[in-house]
Amino acid sequence: MTSFNAHLATLRAHFKIIFTYRGMMLIQAVRLLLLPLVLAAAWLSIQKTAENPYSDADYLLYYLLVPVILNLTDSRLVFRFPMAVRDGSLSRELLKPFPPLSGYALESIANNLIQLIYLLPFTLLAGYAISDRLQLGHLNLQLLLYMLLAIVLGGLVRMLISGSISLVGFWLEDVTTLNLILNGGIWALLGGMIVPVATFPQHIRCIAEMLPYRYMLSFPIEIVTGRLSQAQILQGFAVTIFWSLLFALIMRLIWKRGLKVYAAYGG
Amino acid sequence: MTQTINEVAIVTRQLSRSFSIRQKSEGLAASLRNFFSPVYKTVNAVCDLEMSIGRGEIIGFLGPNGAGKTTTLKMLSGLLVPSGGSIEVLGFTPFNRDHDFLKSISLVMGQKQNLWWDLPPVETFEIHRRIYGLSDEQYRTRIDELVEMLEISDCLETQTRKLSLGQRMRCELAVSLLHQPSILFLDEPTIGLDILMQKKIRSFLLDYHRRFKPTILLTSHYMDDVAALAQRVIVINYGRKIFDGRLRDLTDRMRPEKIMTVIINNGEFPCQLRDGCRLIHQEGQLYRFLVRREVVGELAACLYNTGQIADLTIEDAPLEEIIGQLFTDNGAAAASAPAKTP
Repeated sequence: MTSFNAHLATLRAHFKIIFTYRGMMLIQAVRLLLLPLVLAAAWLSIQKTAENPYSDADYLLYYLLVPVILNLTDSRLVFRFPMAVRDGSLSRELLKPFPPLSGYALESIANNLIQLIYLLPFTLLAGYAISDRLQLGHLNLQLLLYMLLAIVLGGLVRMLISGSISLVGFWLEDVTTLNLILNGGIWALLGGMIVPVATFPQHIRCIAEMLPYRYMLSFPIEIVTGRLSQAQILQGFAVTIFWSLLFALIMRLIWKRGLKVYAAYGG
Repeated sequence: MTQTINEVAIVTRQLSRSFSIRQKSEGLAASLRNFFSPVYKTVNAVCDLEMSIGRGEIIGFLGPNGAGKTTTLKMLSGLLVPSGGSIEVLGFTPFNRDHDFLKSISLVMGQKQNLWWDLPPVETFEIHRRIYGLSDEQYRTRIDELVEMLEISDCLETQTRKLSLGQRMRCELAVSLLHQPSILFLDEPTIGLDILMQKKIRSFLLDYHRRFKPTILLTSHYMDDVAALAQRVIVINYGRKIFDGRLRDLTDRMRPEKIMTVIINNGEFPCQLRDGCRLIHQEGQLYRFLVRREVVGELAACLYNTGQIADLTIEDAPLEEIIGQLFTDNGAAAASAPAKTP
């Protein structure tokens, strides 16, 4: 109970801090909206091949939801933690009877949730504006609940991958490039940012379905489009849980080793 | 909880910590060489440090910059893993970061902050209350006490970043003491503060110690802090312990003489100087002597008996001077040597 209260108090504190940075949040929201808008426009304007299962309505729904899912599964851990190692502010967290990484993770979660203040109205308004071009007749409560669960699991696996990369900050002064390779470029491609995973050629789609990236963005939206069977959805959850457990283990191992080399510089 | 000074709070045995630091000469060619073949230098920050500190003691932990004080504090608080030797703090091995251990300690660093920069201190207090699992009653009682003792009622609801250094430092102390730690590590708690604020902090720490008897390990470059607070001092240099004992013993050993300043009414100096008295300065009727402690009383009595004294002061050499002398090689040898009996 103490631990739950402590986590709740920390989350609340991050909410309060983020509210003081409204301008920054707005800029972030614009960043999140810009690329999906461009991609949606691009996909709607090109001639689709016969093998492409996505219609214009699917693309519209897909890129309408991308900013929201992108935001909800985002993780700032990879930027915050290495900085805390470098400037020694990690020491402050290590001295408390509270899991140090939880603080950074809660900061990220608070940031993602508050960002919805900007993103949700835009998404709802945009959705209303193009409602005649969207196909939502298949939507039901079960699909929405599946989507919610997929977002939570997708956020978890992204947090754990980000966390694992960020912990390399115990050894490397800057993990930005490592993050760009493992969690940026590959994620944008295989996660469904540039091209929806469902429209990949069969053999690439198989690879994407085995890797964790799809589950951080594409999978929750694929659920809403109604193109996945119950079995495919459950299989997706199983893959996400597998990767989450694997990266949780990796994080734990790196954490233990990293603490031994932590030099607590700065003061 | 009853605590006695005989219980041991901190023990270190042959505690050592070294760092491997990458070296680089000046210039592009050196940078290129270093890129392909980096050169590392091992720096021994702490070497074979042995110390034992009782519960409730206040220890002044002294040394020049780079002596290994902060490294030692970081090892004692579990932030750093020792390269060698062992540590026990309240029976815990700090680096294991046991929950109960972390609940029993606090580290206040004058140059680092525990307060949340963007929130008022009262919000940080609330988070600490949750993290340390304090009940409503415990929280209310302690916060009221600390606010009163530290006189911070007027700054609790101001954003931390907008507080003055003195206000912030007092709030830092409050948040660090909220869970009533058994061990308090204070690293330069008065650094950068003005004289008045330094006095306030010292007086608060004394009062707090009197009430709650935590073990305090204090590092400070302000000798007034050490003189006012520490019952015992441990001095280290180049990572090695060079003195462990009462401050009084250290000053006696390093400076066996006192400084006696006398202003006489008129005429010649009225007393015969004996062995152990050395005139170091004279200006008109003002005389300043270095006088061995064992003959101070005799000379003072003689001066009073003549009835010619306008003023007389007897003082120790400034502590800064004594500590400064200690950090020279000769000083370290003197401090480590067995004490002379008067």
